[in-house]
Amino acid sequence: MKKLTREDLEQLAANPASDPPEWVRVQLDTGGIAAGAEAALAALAAAREKSPRSFALLRAGSTGFSFADPVVEVSAGGLPRVYYGRVTTEVAAAIVERHIDGHQLLDDHIVATRRRGVAIGSPVTHILVRDTGPDAADQTEFFQFSFNEELKRRGLADRVQVVRALDLGVYGRGTAVQLLPSAVTYVNLLAPDVARIVAESVECGRVLDDRLWKVPDKQVRIVLRHCGSLDPDRIEDYLTLGRGYQGLKRALFELTPEKVIAEMKTSGLRGRGGAGFPTWMKWQLTRGQAAAQRYVICNGDEGDPGAFMDRSVLESDPHAVLEGMMIAAFALGASKGYFYIRAEYPKAVERIERAIEQARACGLLGPNILGSAFSFEAKVRLGAGAFVCGEETALIASIEGRRGSPSPRPPYPSVRGLWGMPTAINNVETLACVPAILTEGGAWFANFGTETSKGTKVFAVTGKVRNAQLVEVPMGTTLREIIHEICGGVFQGRPLKAVQTGGPSGGVIPIQHLDTPVSYETLQQLGSIMGSGGMLVMDQTDSMVEVAKFYLKFCVDESCGKCAPCRIGGYQLLQILERISRGRGAADDLLQIRRICLAMQRASLCGLGQTAANPVLSTLRYFGDEYQAFITGGVAYARKITGTATPAATRAPALAGPGNGGRAS
Amino acid sequence: MKSAASTSVSTTPHRSPELGRQDEAALLDLLQELEQRHGFVPREFSDEVSRLVEVRLDRLRRIQTKLDSTTRRDVQQHVAHWRNEEGNLIMILHAIQNQHGYVPREVAMELSRELGVKLARIYEVITFYHYFKLQPPGAHSITVCNGTACYLKGSTELLQECRTRLGIAEGQTTADRQFRFEVVRCIGCCGMAPAMVIDGKTCGHVKPADVAGHIAAVGQPKGAAA
Repeated sequence: MKKLTREDLEQLAANPASDPPEWVRVQLDTGGIAAGAEAALAALAAAREKSPRSFALLRAGSTGFSFADPVVEVSAGGLPRVYYGRVTTEVAAAIVERHIDGHQLLDDHIVATRRRGVAIGSPVTHILVRDTGPDAADQTEFFQFSFNEELKRRGLADRVQVVRALDLGVYGRGTAVQLLPSAVTYVNLLAPDVARIVAESVECGRVLDDRLWKVPDKQVRIVLRHCGSLDPDRIEDYLTLGRGYQGLKRALFELTPEKVIAEMKTSGLRGRGGAGFPTWMKWQLTRGQAAAQRYVICNGDEGDPGAFMDRSVLESDPHAVLEGMMIAAFALGASKGYFYIRAEYPKAVERIERAIEQARACGLLGPNILGSAFSFEAKVRLGAGAFVCGEETALIASIEGRRGSPSPRPPYPSVRGLWGMPTAINNVETLACVPAILTEGGAWFANFGTETSKGTKVFAVTGKVRNAQLVEVPMGTTLREIIHEICGGVFQGRPLKAVQTGGPSGGVIPIQHLDTPVSYETLQQLGSIMGSGGMLVMDQTDSMVEVAKFYLKFCVDESCGKCAPCRIGGYQLLQILERISRGRGAADDLLQIRRICLAMQRASLCGLGQTAANPVLSTLRYFGDEYQAFITGGVAYARKITGTATPAATRAPALAGPGNGGRAS
Repeated sequence: MKSAASTSVSTTPHRSPELGRQDEAALLDLLQELEQRHGFVPREFSDEVSRLVEVRLDRLRRIQTKLDSTTRRDVQQHVAHWRNEEGNLIMILHAIQNQHGYVPREVAMELSRELGVKLARIYEVITFYHYFKLQPPGAHSITVCNGTACYLKGSTELLQECRTRLGIAEGQTTADRQFRFEVVRCIGCCGMAPAMVIDGKTCGHVKPADVAGHIAAVGQPKGAAA
């Protein structure tokens, strides 16, 4: 690959490339591959051999529709661009046979785009139908039949195809339909509406206002802007389709390091790893230190169980993270950078290593990048399964090849970090924001979000949620919007109980605070933290004492043992919780729990110990009656709740307050 | 074999050139029998056996030396790759574990010599990080994800089922080295919770009833409760 120059990048910016006319994109990230994306890719390739039409078979990262893995995006056969979810090898063969060769959309696999149309510009060609209510009374097929009959009656059957969709991005609104290609969406349909829609919208192109779903898509994709639309293994894709390395070019040739930091200040970007320290300030502080060598580190040690945003970004858009790191290095005057990535994420490691190689081959890494005075080298270091290594000082120790024990701060890493040199440590997501801020401007980024928390945040919404997926929303979006409107509420329509954010360092947020806008401050006030972005949804069958125990056990296992409050306190706390959950709690146990938690928060050396008590404290704060019920209900109650091998579903409504403790379903 | 050896002794007691063909167990039996019959081991036997022991020891030493030099060469290769990097220990350990599936003691000792780092320092790192293993892996690996999403969706029941099926607890290998059973924090497939990984293949939405089938697909656990 030839070395790029500044002019090459300018030319690329002036002539953005576009996709080939007909293509199929298979989303290959860890989740997709685990669900069989590679088999689907092979099946597509085999089917292409037999197909009379030729189309480009492309690879991509993940859009984030984890519930529908493996996902394949198709734009071919003159049909609207669609996502197919749950693509088995049979479905893959059918996509080629029926969609590409036969010009028909496939039933039951389409995941509709989150685009919402309000006007019908071009004639309707497809109608996606989906009953968004409870699964029991599914009316999708009935409506598909009615639409087909109505279309036949009006002689439109050969012009419009009615397709059952897998997901329309609208939930709990009765039967919904989406008209393609305009993406006008109607909800709460009743049988008479079928004739109206066909007469008005399909024939005359008029929008039915009373049934129109006007709520715009809540998501804004900045970090995930390229996820699912670029091949992460090809720098060419990032350069041409993704307008890649334009931010770096602007930083190197149009700005000075001070101006880059000023731009970051305007953007208001704060660290996405959880604590929310302003990124510009971190860079400024590191830059301010006189030193022969400075370092920049990308923290990709996503140890929080149930969170996979960083993995997804590293796997789907590695060059954006690399570009972000280079801009950071330029701003703070570092010439070396390290990616610290969990060894449990082999795909992410492989892709970032390839990105580094390609960037080096293009002259984007190494001495005098693009002919400027800036030189930079990036390397990958693997984590080895220690949660505490997500903590700055422990992470540095791990990169230095030692045990990941944290050390007291100050001195902060920005003063004395890696090998005693000033070091800036940024989260994957933070770095992925940086190129977008540099190309679009800090003021643009600051448009999104709230007064104190700017921009967007990626959440991995999992647990008992209908559609587990990656969600990127502007700060200030409420939890209700994220869980109910974007992810479809609780699995199997059960009532929601609480949302857990921040993983083992965070806390639970009960249903009464569901309308809280998400930002660093509001979550902290509720006794939780933003964390790296894991969002676990819990329903009524989950016992909060068990959840607290689960997280605490995690922290006890992960405690490095250096300081006593964390090592001993955590263990004692776990013993008490074990006792309570066996129904052998004592009356003063709750007081004791609070005392130990306080000691851990105040006296622990690092973030792990200081926050390990959060899940316990927040469950105690909002669900204290559950603890009480265990203590007053005794062994009999505990057996009912945690019953040895009873499946979760059968022990459902047994959780009750102290007054009616022991009442089973 | 055993009976053949003993009959041959009782008929022709002085067949020393034949001794070289016998394996250790047969030689031991032979000595035992001679001792019982004569009350001592005749000189020509003991001399011959000592000579054989020397020959075999020498052969084993050569094997050991060969093994050592292979180990040394492997370790040297890993070290050479990372020689000029600062803080390379963890990356070298990753390379070693990728090669062997765990960190064997002799390799760790060789590494200590090669890097000039104390063995205790190396073990300090190995034992701190969960990822590094000191026991050899089983032929098949059964890994259950216990991330929060999987936990909420019932990984506890999966763990229980695996314990019963395999007859071992997490972190253990079955006695016949067929299965290694482990629990991991999160494999990042929260969309298909609860998940388990069997020989590198991820299975999603696993129900306790499916576990037996998934395990049987790779091999048959021995001695476990049905």
